[in-house]
Amino acid sequence: MAYIRQNQSTLTAAQKKRFVAAVLALKRKGQYDDFVRTHIEFYVSDGDGGLRVAHMTPSFLPWHRKFLLDFEQALQRVDSGVSVPYWDWTADRSPAASLWADDFLGGNGRRSDRQVMTGPFAYQNGNWKITESESEAEYLTRDFGRPHDPMDLPKPEDLAVAMRDPRYDAEPWNSLTETGFRNRLEGWTSGRGNDRWRNHNQVHRWVGGHMLGASSVNDPVFWLNHAFVDLCWSRWYERHGDAAPYLPAEPPRPGQPQFRRIIAAEERMPPWDVRPVDLIEHKQLYRYG
Amino acid sequence: MKTDRPVRGVVTRRSALLVALGAVPTAIAIAVTARRSRSTGPDSGEVTADGAPGPAPDGFDEMYRGRRIRGVPGADRAAPGRQGSLEVTVDGRPLHLMRRADNTYLSMVDHYAAYPTPLEAARGAVDELHGQPLRLHTT
Repeated sequence: MAYIRQNQSTLTAAQKKRFVAAVLALKRKGQYDDFVRTHIEFYVSDGDGGLRVAHMTPSFLPWHRKFLLDFEQALQRVDSGVSVPYWDWTADRSPAASLWADDFLGGNGRRSDRQVMTGPFAYQNGNWKITESESEAEYLTRDFGRPHDPMDLPKPEDLAVAMRDPRYDAEPWNSLTETGFRNRLEGWTSGRGNDRWRNHNQVHRWVGGHMLGASSVNDPVFWLNHAFVDLCWSRWYERHGDAAPYLPAEPPRPGQPQFRRIIAAEERMPPWDVRPVDLIEHKQLYRYG
Repeated sequence: MKTDRPVRGVVTRRSALLVALGAVPTAIAIAVTARRSRSTGPDSGEVTADGAPGPAPDGFDEMYRGRRIRGVPGADRAAPGRQGSLEVTVDGRPLHLMRRADNTYLSMVDHYAAYPTPLEAARGAVDELHGQPLRLHTT
C-alpha cells in the first residue's frame, strides 16, 4: 500500500512533530550527515571532467528521486508513519508561511550572521550542529530573498513553462540545455542578474545560506524542495503521456562531448547501481496528496 | 596551504565505485579525484566541456571585504595540453571552484551563481561566507 507525501501546508501539528522528531533522530545517529556527504560527493559541474549524475545532467530528476527515497526510508525506520512533505513554492511564498514556524523548520537567519535562531534546527537549541560544510560555521544559515539584492521565489508561470515542455531533456544534456523539461525545472540559464535562476535553482538561491552550497542538505528544507521537484516530474509525465519519460534513450557515442559523462535511460546510476527507467513508476510506493 | 591534505574519504570511495561499476574508464575516475583536490593539489589539470585544454585564468592576490583572496596558477601550467588550473584560497584556505560548460566559474560556497573569472567567483564566495573561515577538509 502506497504512502502519501503531503503538501507541507496541510500537515497537522502532530505530523510536523513526528517529521521533525524523525529528522532529529537521524541527525543524532549520524545518518543525516551521511546524506549531506553524499550530496557533496556527487556535485560535479559540467565544465569539469567526469561523470555527472546529480546536477546539470539528465539524471538530475531520477538521482534525486532515489536520494529522497533513501532519506525517507531512513526516516521510516525511526517512525513508520512519516513521509517527506513537499513545499509548493509557487503557493507558499512568504517568510511568514507556516513552513518557517517554530514548530516546523524554523525561520530566517538573523541579519548579522544569517544564523537561524528559531525552531528545531536552530543551533542554540542544541540538536542541529553542522559538521559537513564549506565554512566553519556550526549553525544553520538562511538568507531569505537575498535582502542585499532582493529576489523572489519562482512564480506559478515559471513552473508552468517547464511543465508545458513536451520533451524530457535535450542536447547538450547539461546546464546549457535551453529547452526540455529537466533543465527548465532544474533551472540553469544563461541569464544575468536576477534572471539567472529558474525553479529548483531559484529556490536554493532564495533560501540562501547553506542552501546555496554543496552542503545544502544541511537545511532540512532541501528535502521539501526536492519532494516538490519530484512531484513536478511525476505530474509532467502524467500530462505528457506520449513523451519519453527520460532522455537520452541511448548513451552518447565515443567522440561526442557527453560520452561517459551522463546517464542514459538504461545505464546504471551510482551510488545505487539503479537505472533511470527503473525510477519512473513510483505509485506502488508513494503518491502525492 | 600545500601541507593540508585535501582529499576527502568520500572522493576516494566514489572513484573506487565508478571503477568498480565500469561506468567510466579508470582514467576518468582518476581525473575526478584530481579535480576534487584541485584547490590544493599541484598536479591537477583543467579541461573544458569538450575535453580540450582551457585558457589559463590569471592569478590574483587581493584584499576583498577584509579577506585575502589569492589565485595561484598551478604547477602544471606549463605542461603541454594541460593548463588553466588555479589554486584559489581565502585567507590561506582552499576554496574549491568548479567550471560550468560555458567556461564560467562556480564555488562550492555558492553553486548557483556563475562568474566569468575565478577572481569574481572567489569574491562571490567571500560575500556568502559572511566572515566565516572556510573549513579545512582534512581526513
